[in-house]
Amino acid sequence: MSRANPSSLPAKPARNWSLWIGVIGFLLAMTIWSAHGIGFSLADLVCNIARGSRLLEESWPPDFGFIPRLYEPFMETIFIAIIGTVVGGLLAIPVAILAARNLTLGPLIWFADRNFMNILRTLPDLFWAMLFASAVGFGPVAGALALSVFTIAVISKLWSESLEAIDMGLPEAIRAAGGTWREMIQFGAMPQGLPHYVSYALYAFELNVRASMVLGLVGAGGIGMILKTQQANFEYERVTMIILAVLIAVLIIEEISEAIRRRLT
Amino acid sequence: MDDKVTRTRAGAIRFDKAGIVYPNGVVGMKNLDLEIRPGEFVVIVGSSGAGKSTLLRAINGLNALTSGSIEVDGEPMPKGEGRGLRELRKRVGMIFQDFRLVKRMSVMSNVLIGRLGHVPGWRSLLNLWPVRDREIAIKALERVGIADKAWTKASDLSGGQQQRVGIARALAQEPAIILADEPVASLDPVTTHQVMKDLVRINRELGITTLVNLHFLDLAREYGDRIIGLRFGELVYDGSAETVTDQDFEDIYGREVNEDDVLDEDAVQG
Amino acid sequence: MSDYALKPPGQRVGWATWTTFIIAALFLVSLWAIEFSPEIMLKVPGQVAEDLKAYYPPDMAYGWEAVLPAIIESIQIAWIGTIIAAILSLPLALIGARTLFPRAARVVKFISATARAFPEILLAIYFVPIVGLGPFAGALAIGISSVGMLTKLGAEVVESIDFGPVEAVEASGGSRILALRYAVLPQVLPEIVAHWLFRFELNIRASAVLGVVGAGGVGGVLLNTLSYRHLEKAAAVLLLTIIVVLAIDMISGSIRRRIINS
Repeated sequence: MSRANPSSLPAKPARNWSLWIGVIGFLLAMTIWSAHGIGFSLADLVCNIARGSRLLEESWPPDFGFIPRLYEPFMETIFIAIIGTVVGGLLAIPVAILAARNLTLGPLIWFADRNFMNILRTLPDLFWAMLFASAVGFGPVAGALALSVFTIAVISKLWSESLEAIDMGLPEAIRAAGGTWREMIQFGAMPQGLPHYVSYALYAFELNVRASMVLGLVGAGGIGMILKTQQANFEYERVTMIILAVLIAVLIIEEISEAIRRRLT
Repeated sequence: MDDKVTRTRAGAIRFDKAGIVYPNGVVGMKNLDLEIRPGEFVVIVGSSGAGKSTLLRAINGLNALTSGSIEVDGEPMPKGEGRGLRELRKRVGMIFQDFRLVKRMSVMSNVLIGRLGHVPGWRSLLNLWPVRDREIAIKALERVGIADKAWTKASDLSGGQQQRVGIARALAQEPAIILADEPVASLDPVTTHQVMKDLVRINRELGITTLVNLHFLDLAREYGDRIIGLRFGELVYDGSAETVTDQDFEDIYGREVNEDDVLDEDAVQG
Repeated sequence: MSDYALKPPGQRVGWATWTTFIIAALFLVSLWAIEFSPEIMLKVPGQVAEDLKAYYPPDMAYGWEAVLPAIIESIQIAWIGTIIAAILSLPLALIGARTLFPRAARVVKFISATARAFPEILLAIYFVPIVGLGPFAGALAIGISSVGMLTKLGAEVVESIDFGPVEAVEASGGSRILALRYAVLPQVLPEIVAHWLFRFELNIRASAVLGVVGAGGVGGVLLNTLSYRHLEKAAAVLLLTIIVVLAIDMISGSIRRRIINS
């Protein structure tokens, strides 16, 4: 007597066992392989909890006396973020426009620009920071350049998608009236695209402030550099102070940025 | 028939000066005295906001009384959201206007939800349903005539079919009472009659106390045995479907009855 | 010669012009503050171009030998980190849904906001002294940091579902847990898994970076090659990283699309 379906039901469609087994098998294999590869060990984790709590003890309370020394590096961080956002934001404009299928100059250009944009997106911001630090020397200039590239990647991806969704009525009308491509973009597409652009630019600025926190770890200026020295010297109370200060600043900037964005939409 | 024997409760409901006042001050139920005998088929009518849903949802505890009491089979409504309430709800099946199926799951899985109260937790968590419960689910599907769709994804069914799955889910509970809250409001006329006929048939064959909210008065007259009229949360009519008049309806609604209140504008066919 | 005013009356400097002014001012102040000078601006392209020459041709032998294992390590770090975060965030996302658990949700939301605020690399700085240098620290850092984001996104998905089936389960006598299992999970799982996959894509980039603080992955290799000015080797690092990340993005992206449409 079948356990599965007594009486008059149609047969239950066979579960796609091979797919399920394949997927679960893959996940398990991947996890075990990765865990092994990175030396994952619960035992280690547990044994080191004592070390962890000691570390936390050492890190608290934050060294508030360190604040005066933070002022300059912190401002440097902000300046780097500003430069990165402005430069990156400006350069992102053509990159984004040419990556939008409905606004671009031609299939080849679109293809090239699309791929260019994707490649920019693959490298993390710190990689750019390392590259520029190596090319132009350590310091905030490298950081600003790195963030510029990163900003181009962020803004152009987001904005090109939003440009692809605009209403093409007005741009077409401009073309039909004999306008050039530039005029179509400027008068037809930008009015719709601008609010989104500002929103994404503000978002990029938030990301950049966070990112320039860490750029200093590779020598590209900003508060990260102090962070690195303090950490190397095991001055964990100061490390905590730095992190705290930056987190608070980031939160404040995020709040302001949110407020501005809300007023726009 | 086995089905009557397996049910140990009768399905009697008693409201005693029951009242519900919502937190925002709106009165949902006012001084309700009502007694429903096991196996009755009761249709509840009233204009929107009259308290039809409130009444139904009070019976399975989805709306809590703020005054008075309700008894089901002599036992008062359990307080709070615990075990007692869940035990009560197992015996009361509910059918919703918007069907409330889990769209991504199969029909069978949806009906088995009706058995959740009857199997141990670990079994339902792991989807290991005992044979007996699966048989109950299948019988429920057969009773509403869609056993052949058992393994179809719920969202692939038509509205009428989905509602039948909803009915099967309620049946799978082997309930003493079935509450149907505007079960046909989202359905087309033909399907509406099919579903109403199913409800009547289930009530006759299984003896389950059935309460149905309707806003189509011709349906109320055609399918109801007893008709209850509510207005502003108060009971204003309690009579037989055979003797209810259009004037009675107007009194219940507090206005003239118009086209929106009937399903078929001409006399009801069949 | 015309009687019409050339400008609409009352039009002076609009807010758009003001904003541009302010931004330009901030920009210039920043340039000055970091001691940017026109000379630097002239030198920069030159230096970058010179470096670019040194990058070519990329040293692929080094690539296969040293870079690939590091990239694999980065993938492994990202995988474990994402798995940890996924497992932890699922129950948290359910609890963090305002529509299901109004009081507990606020606590969860607060915790996840805190976890989100930390860039992974900072967490790594704390984990390295605890469990030692190496990829394990990196995986933990990524795991904790991702939990915050996944919990927030997961809770949003749960809050957006159709609540009807949940009530139906409870109306038939099911407990809250059963309602979660039968009414909530089937609705939210595809979208939540898609979020996990996207997070994996982002985590690969994050884990690549962690090598800089000694937490394993390609970042350390890149830092090395750059410090020693072995730019052809660095080129290999970049090339392989780009290819691998693009490949993973594509695969993960198509899996995500298929899951959402299932």
